[in-house]
Amino acid sequence: MTQPPDFDVSPGGAAIALPTATIARKSPSQLFWERFSQDKAALAGGIVIILLIFIAFFGGPIAEKITGHPQNQTYSQMTDAYGVPLGPNGTFWFGADSSGRDLFVLTMYGARTSLFVGIVASGIALLIGLVFGLVAGFFGGLSDTVLSRFGDVLLAVPQILIAVGVVAACSTTKSGCLGGLLQPGITVVIAVIVLFSWSYIARIVRGYTLSLREKEFVESARAAGASNFRILWQEILPNLLGPLIVYATLLIPTNILFEAALSYLGLGVPATQASWGSILSQVSSSGLYNVAWWLMLFPGAFLILTTLAFNLLGDGLRDAFDVRSER
Amino acid sequence: MKKVLRLALLGAAVIAIAALASGCGSKKSSSGGTTTNSGGTKSANSVVGSGSFSNGSPAKGGTYTIGWENSFGFTNNFDPTGEYLGNAWGLYSNLMLRSLVGYKHQPGAAGNELVGDLATEAPTPTDNGLTYTYKIRSGVKFGPPVNRAVTSKDVAYAMNRLANPKDGGQYSFYYTVIKGWDAVANGKATTVSGISTPDNNTIVFHLTKAAGDFNLRMSMPATAPIPEEVGKCFEGKPGDYGRDVVSSGPYMLQGADKVTASCPMKPMSGYDGANGNHIILVRNPNYDQSTDQYRKNYIDSFKFVVNSNADDIFAKVQAGQYDDEVSTPTPKTIRQYATTPSLKPRMIPNVGDRTNYLSMNLTQPPFDDVHVRKALNFIVDKAALQKAWGGPIPGSIATHIVPPVLYNNGLAEYDPYATPNEAGDVGKAQAEMKQSKYDPGKTGKCTASACKGVLTIADTRSVDKTMIPILVEDAAKIGLKLTVRSINGAYTTIQTPSKNIPLAERPSWGKDYADPYTFFAELFDGGAIIKSGNTNYSLVGITPAKAKEVGATGSIDNVPTVDPDIAACSAKLASQRTTCWENLDKKLMEQVVPWVPYLWPNNVFIIGPNVTHWNYDQFTDGPAYSSVSKK
Repeated sequence: MTQPPDFDVSPGGAAIALPTATIARKSPSQLFWERFSQDKAALAGGIVIILLIFIAFFGGPIAEKITGHPQNQTYSQMTDAYGVPLGPNGTFWFGADSSGRDLFVLTMYGARTSLFVGIVASGIALLIGLVFGLVAGFFGGLSDTVLSRFGDVLLAVPQILIAVGVVAACSTTKSGCLGGLLQPGITVVIAVIVLFSWSYIARIVRGYTLSLREKEFVESARAAGASNFRILWQEILPNLLGPLIVYATLLIPTNILFEAALSYLGLGVPATQASWGSILSQVSSSGLYNVAWWLMLFPGAFLILTTLAFNLLGDGLRDAFDVRSER
Repeated sequence: MKKVLRLALLGAAVIAIAALASGCGSKKSSSGGTTTNSGGTKSANSVVGSGSFSNGSPAKGGTYTIGWENSFGFTNNFDPTGEYLGNAWGLYSNLMLRSLVGYKHQPGAAGNELVGDLATEAPTPTDNGLTYTYKIRSGVKFGPPVNRAVTSKDVAYAMNRLANPKDGGQYSFYYTVIKGWDAVANGKATTVSGISTPDNNTIVFHLTKAAGDFNLRMSMPATAPIPEEVGKCFEGKPGDYGRDVVSSGPYMLQGADKVTASCPMKPMSGYDGANGNHIILVRNPNYDQSTDQYRKNYIDSFKFVVNSNADDIFAKVQAGQYDDEVSTPTPKTIRQYATTPSLKPRMIPNVGDRTNYLSMNLTQPPFDDVHVRKALNFIVDKAALQKAWGGPIPGSIATHIVPPVLYNNGLAEYDPYATPNEAGDVGKAQAEMKQSKYDPGKTGKCTASACKGVLTIADTRSVDKTMIPILVEDAAKIGLKLTVRSINGAYTTIQTPSKNIPLAERPSWGKDYADPYTFFAELFDGGAIIKSGNTNYSLVGITPAKAKEVGATGSIDNVPTVDPDIAACSAKLASQRTTCWENLDKKLMEQVVPWVPYLWPNNVFIIGPNVTHWNYDQFTDGPAYSSVSKK
């Protein structure tokens, strides 16, 4: 928005001086916060995420303390004579899973798994995608062709099939695979997610870089003798931060859902490590959905809440960074 | 507006969770309250009825439709020479093929009683148990397109086909006692010299050593007659004959009368197993009921339909769209049928002649110490594992290797690791652990590093996911910290000795025929350990030379063996044989301790409202299709 002129015109046509108005210059961060703070949904998403992070760190142990039910303790009284788990009661607030474990405790610990996988996998994917995208977009030529086509190939690979293969290959020995680098369980899950996530980021970063490298400030930096590294580091990277933050917040819920999907298929974390996806998989594989609603409701609700919160935050950040967006 | 909507969504989600969390803590669940004590005596854990259902006198006619879960899962595309799937044997034995000897297609011990089928009787061996002579029953004819009498040469042809590895036989090891078998197996001959057919109605088998269960071995489907004029079209093509199986029984593949017995043969339309869709059987016009005392054959046609959704299968059975199922009822379905009086008679649990067990690898620390293996036997809460399978209806708690029904109910009360209510006993387990070298401080817990992160391979079925937390919790009580790897299709891994898997959660073994030999020979014979597809998961009887051959490493020296015991029992007959196997079972449980047996599963079948007669076939561990009838 432009400021009004500091003068007016009299009916006779003569200029009349107006009292001098102070022009408040706003920094980009002030502009960002001004827009972001008006987005109540994004703020609420952020608050929920903070709460979820708190649950991820402390929710499990606190739940264990309150209920007196350790995460992997099974309670035979919480399954009926046919092995069907029993629902919520005064002691087991969320009911039990099919092994007779306290679903409340499992759901709280599940937050840890989901957020850890979502944030760590997204972070690594972001880093790889950033490096590859920057190199491909800035240098172009052969490096662009090789990196872009490699990314395209990964996007064409059936993710679940590869996940099945990687998980199977890494699960048959105690040491995992790649000389112990990939341990079965959460590290394999993260590796699989990263493998299929970074190329999306790389594509986006490449596109932005292609555009930014032609800008005047990059040209002037180059004319001033700046090295490629300096241009990348000081001119291009700062301009990528906004989009990257936005995509990170949108990538996290996608990856949380991917982890849930892998666990749902039995390819995710071990059965002794709580995960919302693996709890949901019990419902489907045992046909319990119409007799043990609590197994779907609680982890499902937390999963929805988490993804919704991240998506709202991501949307809000995108709107706040992009001054052209409509409100 | 968009923002308002999103905010409202988030708010609704938060409120819903908060309300649920607070509300759930304030009252008892209406669905709660039923607790179970599935422990108690072993007999209290067994829920098996008569194995039959009858609702009026059976009538002839109708199409009997069976929902088959997921896929047919054939091991050799329904080709009887190599087909090793029990459910396929149900079709062969009841409906399509007549082996020399067979069964009465009844539940319980009577169903394991051997009778003549294609042969007039199960012969008594001569020549000190080395010669078996079978007389072929007259009046038995092949169905279309062959349409001629079955002769002894058709049986001999099937046996030669089974001996030739190029034709895909998967259990030919049972017949290596026949003279000249190995020569065919090794490619040095084309026919087995120990099989002779002096005339069309006589076939003689000459053995190299006595095998007390040889008649039982001749009941398996691969030994049923195959007409050479059709079989030759499929030589060297394992599995292909499955689409053109020629019937010698009461039913044939639909469309068998539309093909000709000349090479190359067109597939019969009733077989669509390759596409995983359906198999349709219709009456064999050449079948003579007067030659068959034990098949009733009420139904006009059978339709086996693959359905990937188990819930849908049981819904259709309940609605009468399917009459029967080849699936596994989940705890939910079992509870529904067990607690609904109108449905209860249509759920029929039957003894499965099978054992589910945890397999401990005798070469891998800490299971190279017998005290650790015994301690695990004492600590496992078998009652909880039984519940994971759905309680007493899906199976009774196993206390030793072979189900008692295969000992004529011998060892029914034998339980060397008995604990209160079969729920595990920390005191007994820790007392055993104190004797272990892995508990140097005599704490009752395994404190050595070998007990940390003990690799445990599990499968990914829902029941596996339910069992794992129970096992991990139990093992921790004696200091064993399990690192569980869940693999879809765990067998491939645990059947590979070079993987050196210490503990396997997945194993289950069922009989091939009603003799304990089919357990001991395949599961504990050190000489039979192979590189892949190995079924002696515990590596009982492995020697350093064998370990080198298969790539196994670990504590290879001094692994106990029962090879001489298996050989000795195998040659015995009748009650002596049974007693011998019982003693071997005890030796394995008390001295070798390769397993933690926890369940003798029942085969639970659920039948539709139109079925008027149904009974279990103990040999095939499935429905006696030859006895079913419907409205």
